[in-house]
Amino acid sequence: MSINDATTAVNAELAGRDDIIVCDGVDKWYGDFQALKGVTATIKEREVVVVLGPSGSGKSTWIRCINRLEQHQGGRIIVDGVELTNDTRNIEKIRSEVGMVFQSFNLFPHLTVIDNITLAPIWVRKRPRGEAEQTARELLERVGIPEQADKFPGQLSGGQQQRVAIARALAMEPRIMLFDEPTSALDPEMIKEVLDVMKELANSGMTMMVVTHEMGFAREVADRIIFMESGEIVEVGTPEHFFTNPTEDRTKLFLSQIL
Amino acid sequence: MSDTAQQSLVAAASARPPFYRDAVVVKWLAQVVTLLLVLFALFFLASQAGDNLTAKGIKTGYDFLEVDPGINLTGTIDNEPDTGGRALWAGAVNTLRLSIGGIFIATLLGILVGVARLSSNWMVSKIASVFIEYMRNIPLLVHIILFFAILQSLDKFGDTEQVFNDDGSPALDAEGAEVFEAVQGPINGWLHVSNKGVSFPRVFPADGFYQWLVFILIGALIGNFVRKRRQAVQDSTGAETYPNGSMLGVIAVFGVIGWFLHPIFGWVGGIFGAIAELVDAIPPSLVQVVLTVLAVGFAINWIRRFLDSRRTPAGLAKLTDDDWFRMIFAGVGAMIAALFIWVIWPGGSSWLVNSGRDFFEVAADKFGDGRGSWTEDPPIDAMRPDIEQRGRFANPGPAGLNFSTGFAAVFFGIVLYTAAFIAEIVRGGILAVPKGQTEAAQAIGLRRSTMLRRVILPQAFRVSLPPLGNQYLNLTKNTSLAIAVGATDLVQVGQTIFNQSGKSLEVFSIWMLFYLACSLTISVVVNFFNVRLAIVER
Amino acid sequence: MSDLLKSDVDLEAIIAQADEDEITLRPDEPSLPPGEWMRKNLFSTPFNSVLTIVFALGALWAYRAILNFIFSENTQWDAVRVNLRLMFTQAYPDENYTRVWVSLAIVAVLAGLSLGLSKVGRGLSLKKIATWCFGWGGLIVLGVLLREPSVKTDASGESVFADANGVELVRDDLGSLAYANGDPAPSQGLELIRESFGSAMGNRTGWWIIGLLLLAVGAAIWFGLGDFRRRNTFVPAIPFGLAGVGLLVSTTWWYGWGNYTFSEEGFTYEPGELVASSTRNPWTVVFLVLVGAYIVGRAIQRTERAGTVRAITNLSWLLAPFVTFWAVLRGPVLDWGYVASVDIPLYLLFAVGGGLILWMLTNPHIGEAGRIIAVVILAIAAFTWISAFFGWFGMLQKIRLSILFLGLAALLAPNFKGDAKQRMKLIYGWLGFITIFHVMVTLINTPSSIEVPTEDFAGGFMVSIYVSIFTMIFSFPLGVMLALARTSRLPLFRVMSTVYIESFRGVPLITMLFFFTVFVNLFLPEGMELSLFAAVVVAFVLFSAAYLAENVRGGLQAIRRGQYEASDALGLTTVQRTAFIVLPQGLRVSIPPLVGQVIATFKETSLLAIVGVFDFLRMARDVIPAQTEFLGVRKPGLLFICVVYFVGAYAMSKYSQRLEKQLGVGER
Repeated sequence: MSINDATTAVNAELAGRDDIIVCDGVDKWYGDFQALKGVTATIKEREVVVVLGPSGSGKSTWIRCINRLEQHQGGRIIVDGVELTNDTRNIEKIRSEVGMVFQSFNLFPHLTVIDNITLAPIWVRKRPRGEAEQTARELLERVGIPEQADKFPGQLSGGQQQRVAIARALAMEPRIMLFDEPTSALDPEMIKEVLDVMKELANSGMTMMVVTHEMGFAREVADRIIFMESGEIVEVGTPEHFFTNPTEDRTKLFLSQIL
Repeated sequence: MSDTAQQSLVAAASARPPFYRDAVVVKWLAQVVTLLLVLFALFFLASQAGDNLTAKGIKTGYDFLEVDPGINLTGTIDNEPDTGGRALWAGAVNTLRLSIGGIFIATLLGILVGVARLSSNWMVSKIASVFIEYMRNIPLLVHIILFFAILQSLDKFGDTEQVFNDDGSPALDAEGAEVFEAVQGPINGWLHVSNKGVSFPRVFPADGFYQWLVFILIGALIGNFVRKRRQAVQDSTGAETYPNGSMLGVIAVFGVIGWFLHPIFGWVGGIFGAIAELVDAIPPSLVQVVLTVLAVGFAINWIRRFLDSRRTPAGLAKLTDDDWFRMIFAGVGAMIAALFIWVIWPGGSSWLVNSGRDFFEVAADKFGDGRGSWTEDPPIDAMRPDIEQRGRFANPGPAGLNFSTGFAAVFFGIVLYTAAFIAEIVRGGILAVPKGQTEAAQAIGLRRSTMLRRVILPQAFRVSLPPLGNQYLNLTKNTSLAIAVGATDLVQVGQTIFNQSGKSLEVFSIWMLFYLACSLTISVVVNFFNVRLAIVER
Repeated sequence: MSDLLKSDVDLEAIIAQADEDEITLRPDEPSLPPGEWMRKNLFSTPFNSVLTIVFALGALWAYRAILNFIFSENTQWDAVRVNLRLMFTQAYPDENYTRVWVSLAIVAVLAGLSLGLSKVGRGLSLKKIATWCFGWGGLIVLGVLLREPSVKTDASGESVFADANGVELVRDDLGSLAYANGDPAPSQGLELIRESFGSAMGNRTGWWIIGLLLLAVGAAIWFGLGDFRRRNTFVPAIPFGLAGVGLLVSTTWWYGWGNYTFSEEGFTYEPGELVASSTRNPWTVVFLVLVGAYIVGRAIQRTERAGTVRAITNLSWLLAPFVTFWAVLRGPVLDWGYVASVDIPLYLLFAVGGGLILWMLTNPHIGEAGRIIAVVILAIAAFTWISAFFGWFGMLQKIRLSILFLGLAALLAPNFKGDAKQRMKLIYGWLGFITIFHVMVTLINTPSSIEVPTEDFAGGFMVSIYVSIFTMIFSFPLGVMLALARTSRLPLFRVMSTVYIESFRGVPLITMLFFFTVFVNLFLPEGMELSLFAAVVVAFVLFSAAYLAENVRGGLQAIRRGQYEASDALGLTTVQRTAFIVLPQGLRVSIPPLVGQVIATFKETSLLAIVGVFDFLRMARDVIPAQTEFLGVRKPGLLFICVVYFVGAYAMSKYSQRLEKQLGVGER
């Protein structure tokens, strides 16, 4: 099966759904260094996409461009029908619709867990505090740590912190979740608890873009896998295709190193 | 690109947002409007100042720098300055004397106290900490005024005291009058501490000094050669050869020999004399051109090299605000230097050293112009402080190195005060070296002294350097408190001048320029070491 | 420039940690027997022994010299004793003194409440108290032994002299010195006679009792407790502190703190008139108020309302300086007709109108219109200021300021949209702010019925305290703004703030003070003038803000980039990010250096003496030595000032170390 066949197959499966993220020839430079070289991809609603690639390949840069933590310099990015430009209203709209989970959790250390989660709903979504807290407690229940609500982030383990970070992102009721290496900073025994939450989330029909090195997760959960190297998308395909029968040499080399 | 994606792209066709929603426009608009408001306010204040000055009939301008200020100073390089500029310069020299002398002594004292504070000896450490807490928690100005009050309450300068015989009766001289003799300072009169200030013996380079310096220079060259050789031996064989010690030894030997043999270098003065005549023959305009080109060229070269050092394989790295500052200051410095050379050169050097001679003429004179004879003065001589009767009052004479009461109070005030802060910095620096470093050094079997010298102190110094630089800046600025006790410095002279001439803004601008220049110099010097010492990290 | 001198290592913190270790580690290890302790800490090596002996001798010598000075009959402590009032409040009018006492009582209430509401720390260990008793008791006993004997006095209290041979002289009927046989005394070589060592020791009974009592208490605690673990029992520190203050206050009942009155002709020394008799009642009341407030605070601390009361107390601390300042210095002569016809309507207009505008702007559904309204209000504010410069549209200054504040509030308001509860909080904040502002401005603009002799402000220590407090309060927001601008991503803001900070940090404070006291009136329009007090406060605020900004910047730079990214990803606006994420974290890290800056400002207030303010230091340096009874007496006054500054600065630095430790523990 060639790459085109694979893509066609995937596209056929997803054909009925709407596009939610469209990237068209996205370029990004840091000084003279080009981090993204014309990245073009489309992500459908309720799709789970895992982005793989060696470090420095531009995966993180790409998903950070999608909620404009980084600004792209060439090409276009359209998220849920809204194009990312300098327009402040568009940026506000997209930020409140795209949730993001970071490698280093980035919880606010001076706020309790519940305050971390309710901060944005109250001040960005303008929810009344009581309602926001109610939602926050339900979300903590969902990620499995309802009893930690009144602690400070520093008192939690890494895995618990990352689950709080996921709950914090979910509290904004995003349509899309971005995960930037969510398990890389965790001890091995804590990785599973975070991945379980992510699997549950994927099964519930959330659109997800995940940068990770967890091959097991990619194989089990992903609808599609995008392989990047030096700022370019090298190969796109289903997990089955990607892990068993990759077409590109660079993909084969990467898999041979990592598996 | 699938069809649906194309459709999305078309649907979201990007229209330019209105300007008040464009992030870039809003950001720049806010900045520019703020800047304009600030500039407007400054402009308004300046025009107001202009109006007010005109209304009061005060003319602005720096002409006071060139007219006789009609003031007398005390304890400066020029106590009867003939221009305002010269008076300010005399004050500035005093500020520099206080700062530079203060920095050296405060550093030495501070290191001593800081190490004492860490001593395992309870008594030593307690005494050091009492000193530190006492100095740090009381304002410097109070220290200075207290020192001043204490110095002023000392015995009168030049007091006499009656001489008594052993049986208690007054001693009488040949003519039957009671005998009085002058009260001498301690150490056989080499030191005078009194209500007129503190007089130290004046140590000065005598006639043979510069010839002797030639010996020291030769000693240093040979010593450096020896140091390199011994270092090489130590590196190759591992034997302890004390390279630095050997170098100092060689220099000392040359110094001792030179003490007696220095007149043989009298002929060096002749060479300088010849050069001086040669320089006189060159037209001044040529010198101006050459020096200006050198100054500007030097600055351009410096900026170019600086930019090169910031260049990475991926292009020019982002320049920080400080990088810009440095480059701008280099450029401005070169421009000022060029201006100085061009405009003031003919009289400038004599204005600064007040001799009317250029460097080579001075050097020719210092080297004795060929007068070498074996009976010359020693290179260095010292004079005992003397007492001079001026009218009814006894005063310190010119032979001693005299600190007036105010000057001494300021000097000891800033030295002790800064030393306390430096002591805390030194202590913090040593404590900041992680314990693992000590353990690692012990683990590889270093002796305690080697460990201190090679592991602990270098790291401690690196940590302490930036706050140390800040203390030097503070010390320099604190010398301005001299005004409280009537010691002469830049601020005091400036205040006298604006009281007399009303040139307040001009004086203030000179103060700002001078102190900013001092701050900049100190940061550049400290940063030079800071960069050299920085640990290379990824 | 100062960037060049930045290092990542905070030496102050390291030192504080080391000091903390020294204090906390010790109780956990059993104390060594004295002999062993000395061998370990004083005589471990021959070199160490020599050092110990040399330093000990030096210390003894210095201690003796200090004691001799303090107790010397030539040291006129009376100069301080009778001038205490002058040093603290200069010549504040007698009939208004009640205002000072009321202000002190307000401060006492707040202090008592804060102490009572503070979370109880571990307190003092008995071991520390014992060591403390040993130390002071030992020092006192040593002092009694070391001090040179006092001058011998005869029956009439006059000093006794001897000639050069040591033959004692007596006073004849005329009071001049003579030999016992009637021969006149020589004019030269007379010396004072001192008591014998034995009688000197006998005359120091009071000191003996105090010293030995302290030693005995120390020993009782030390040996009475036996086991070292029990010596680590902790007793609460605050009651001990209060008891100390009580002891000090009680001295007004038995010790004659003298008085120097400031009358028409100048200063008059009234040795019989004791301040104690006029101040012991107020001081006692203030002390009782303090204790009462402490007890109330303790009681509240156990209830659930502790948090609310604590917040109110903290807010009151912020207001207290202003309230006491006006209470002490202003007896406003209000024109009630004007107040009713102009001041109150204006206040209501801004309070109600501003409140309504803000209520509207915080409606979540207002959209772009909110920003446009805010910009319009700001533009009006800017226009009123520009027109003020050119003298168009004359209006009260407070209208201009109120419009400006409203504009700034309106600019920030869209960031704080929310449900009705959130919006009401914002409105309450606005109402509180505008009320305080209008009341203060109204009070400033009325003539005062209180007349102080120098310019517009009383002098003495009061002026130093007020200058430091106002500097602290006003330079804080300015410094934070400068720090935010300096770390901003917007280049023009960064450059402007850097230029400001570096120019102020590059020059000495004294030149700035000269600028603002001497030159500043040149820059002001006709008819506007800064009073001396306002000028020095402005100078201090601008100067201190530059340093404060650097301290805050250190804290802001300690915030990791991830915090910014996370708040951006959640969709917080820049203002929200700064208010909820950046400042709370950044300021927390900056608290220790900020306290350091407060100490520095407190010490720098001594410079007021140079620019013509009659502060504390000026009293000791110029005023007291000019009094006829104390011509040229400077040292006692200066030493007293040293003690006051030392106590203030030392207490604050210890507090800062404790705070640092608490923050360290709270590091989450």
